[in-house]
Amino acid sequence: MNFRKLTITLTSLAVGIVSSAGAMAADTELGVVVKIGGIPWFNAMEAGIAERAKELGVKAFMIGPTSADPALQVRAIEDLIARGVTAIGVVPNDAEALEPVLAKARSKGIKVITHESPDQKNIDWNFELASAKGFGEAHAKLLAEKCGGIGEYAVFVGSLTVPLHNAWADAAIAYLEKNYPGMKLVSERYGVAENVDDSRKTALDLMSAHPNLNGFLGFGSQGPIGAGRAIQERRKAGKIHVLGPLSPGQGMRLIKAGVISGGFMWNPKEAGRVFVTLADMVVQGKDVTAGMDIPGLGVVNPDFRTRNIIANQMVTINEDTVDELAAMGL
Amino acid sequence: MTKTNRKKIKRYMEGEVAGLSIFLIVIVIAFSLASPKFLTGANLSSMAIQLPELGLLTLAMLIPILSGGLNLSITYTANMSGLALAWTLQAFGGPEAGVEAFILGCVLAFSVGALSGFVIGFVVAYTKAHPILVSLSMMILMRGIGEFMSHGKDITGFPQFVQNIGQGEIGGIPIPLLVFIACAIVWHIILSRTRQGFGTYMLGSNIMATAYSGISTKRNLIILYTLSGLMCSVAGIIMLSRFNSVRVGHGESFLLITVLACFLGAVNPFGGFGRVVPVVLALIILQVLTSGLNILGSNQHLSTALWGIFLIAVMVLRWAWWRFSIKIK
Repeated sequence: MNFRKLTITLTSLAVGIVSSAGAMAADTELGVVVKIGGIPWFNAMEAGIAERAKELGVKAFMIGPTSADPALQVRAIEDLIARGVTAIGVVPNDAEALEPVLAKARSKGIKVITHESPDQKNIDWNFELASAKGFGEAHAKLLAEKCGGIGEYAVFVGSLTVPLHNAWADAAIAYLEKNYPGMKLVSERYGVAENVDDSRKTALDLMSAHPNLNGFLGFGSQGPIGAGRAIQERRKAGKIHVLGPLSPGQGMRLIKAGVISGGFMWNPKEAGRVFVTLADMVVQGKDVTAGMDIPGLGVVNPDFRTRNIIANQMVTINEDTVDELAAMGL
Repeated sequence: MTKTNRKKIKRYMEGEVAGLSIFLIVIVIAFSLASPKFLTGANLSSMAIQLPELGLLTLAMLIPILSGGLNLSITYTANMSGLALAWTLQAFGGPEAGVEAFILGCVLAFSVGALSGFVIGFVVAYTKAHPILVSLSMMILMRGIGEFMSHGKDITGFPQFVQNIGQGEIGGIPIPLLVFIACAIVWHIILSRTRQGFGTYMLGSNIMATAYSGISTKRNLIILYTLSGLMCSVAGIIMLSRFNSVRVGHGESFLLITVLACFLGAVNPFGGFGRVVPVVLALIILQVLTSGLNILGSNQHLSTALWGIFLIAVMVLRWAWWRFSIKIK
């Protein structure tokens, strides 16, 4: 049986070619595993990573799995460990599922940086460009300014079970209650802000039910858009103000029409840059200290127990900035 | 089947193994030349750790495909089995749970898998509904039950020995890989040496002829889907120990890749033909491709295209080998 022989020889050959492990580089080499590849948000992050790596003269690249499955992130991190990088960055899909593989990476001396994962355990640092409180308050403050400090407002969230959206809403409502007693919340929050049509309908109903309503906070990407369309239909632009984190590309027209006042977001490109900056620092043994001024994060006040660095580096979305943000594909 | 026909098919099958082996060697050499970090102990062990999850699910997919069907519920059945084990461990104290709790949990996990498979097999056998429809319904059911009972959250915190199953090694070989090798051998034996295996191939070739030749097709279908469900449970347990957590949706992206691995491993999409060995080779090839591209740090957008090129290359090589081996006959 010639074929069988050939097969056995070839297979054993394949198994046989095993060389010893290569030496680890002392230079910073960062691999960042993001939630999913090929979407504008992470394309912008990749651009930031490449840009900052060039500036610092280090090696850094991004891996974007083909689907937002935690299992794929684990595999990508395994490959990075095998590649022998000196630092791994992750934007986790599922913080828990990554703990074992991140522990493995750290046991091999690899530095681990995460983003948008404040409860992660096996890390050197996690960084956030906006705290939930700061993010909610920034929107609340802008809303109060637009409404002149007096009026009635409603709050949309993506869903009542999305922890982050509700934390934003909590912070915003608490801030307005404390600082602007003239602003009255008309009802409980609505879990419609991931759906344009639901947001639009709810906004129309609310406008009919509350004639004095003059503000909407939409925490969820479709909330501001839906509310904005409702206001446009009723020709109330300028009288009722809509704010919220939204996709600049999607909301550009409504912002320019003056229907949506704007909102805040954090810039994924900046997050990419911070990944490289932080990774380079920790790999070179220059650890983060309180009061340090880190490019992209500002003066930081790290939490050494939870290993969190929370900055408030928000980007304003309004008439002036929306073009540039939309041009980034966001 | 005439003697020459059988010879032809045998040669064809050997062609598959040789063709896939050659392709594997080619890409291993290519990646080694492209990156000095490819053929290192670290990378080989990394690939060895990654292979089993996908491998076990592919084995779960293999038997239904051989019978001319499909089991689309494999990933969610694995999740549900994992959840059954996770809840049992939680009920017995989470990180403090003993080995007895683990064994009980595994029994429950296997029960979930077997039940899921049994129901698919039963419905397919008696209603003659298409397996795609039946297993798709089971997938939605499993996902729904899992999401309802876990609220889409992670279940985490297991005893150290459970984590050791996922992370540990015996004689330098990762435990998940040993489990996978054992399962592959069991599958090979079932398919090549038992009545059930023979019946499965016959079902895939011609279900009518199989029924008329006195094989109980209903019984065979129920058993083969139950086996598939049991293999999902193994995959679920291994994933739990690897991630130290379970959540509905872990590994959902593996579903299509298992089908791909089967077809790449020369399993006939319409059933009846295919073996375990080429499928295992196909799995190794897929692993080498993903790890190799990650090690190279190639552009993510390009690597998806490279995948496509590789897959087409395998088809062409297979065709070439087939032509070649028929000619020299």
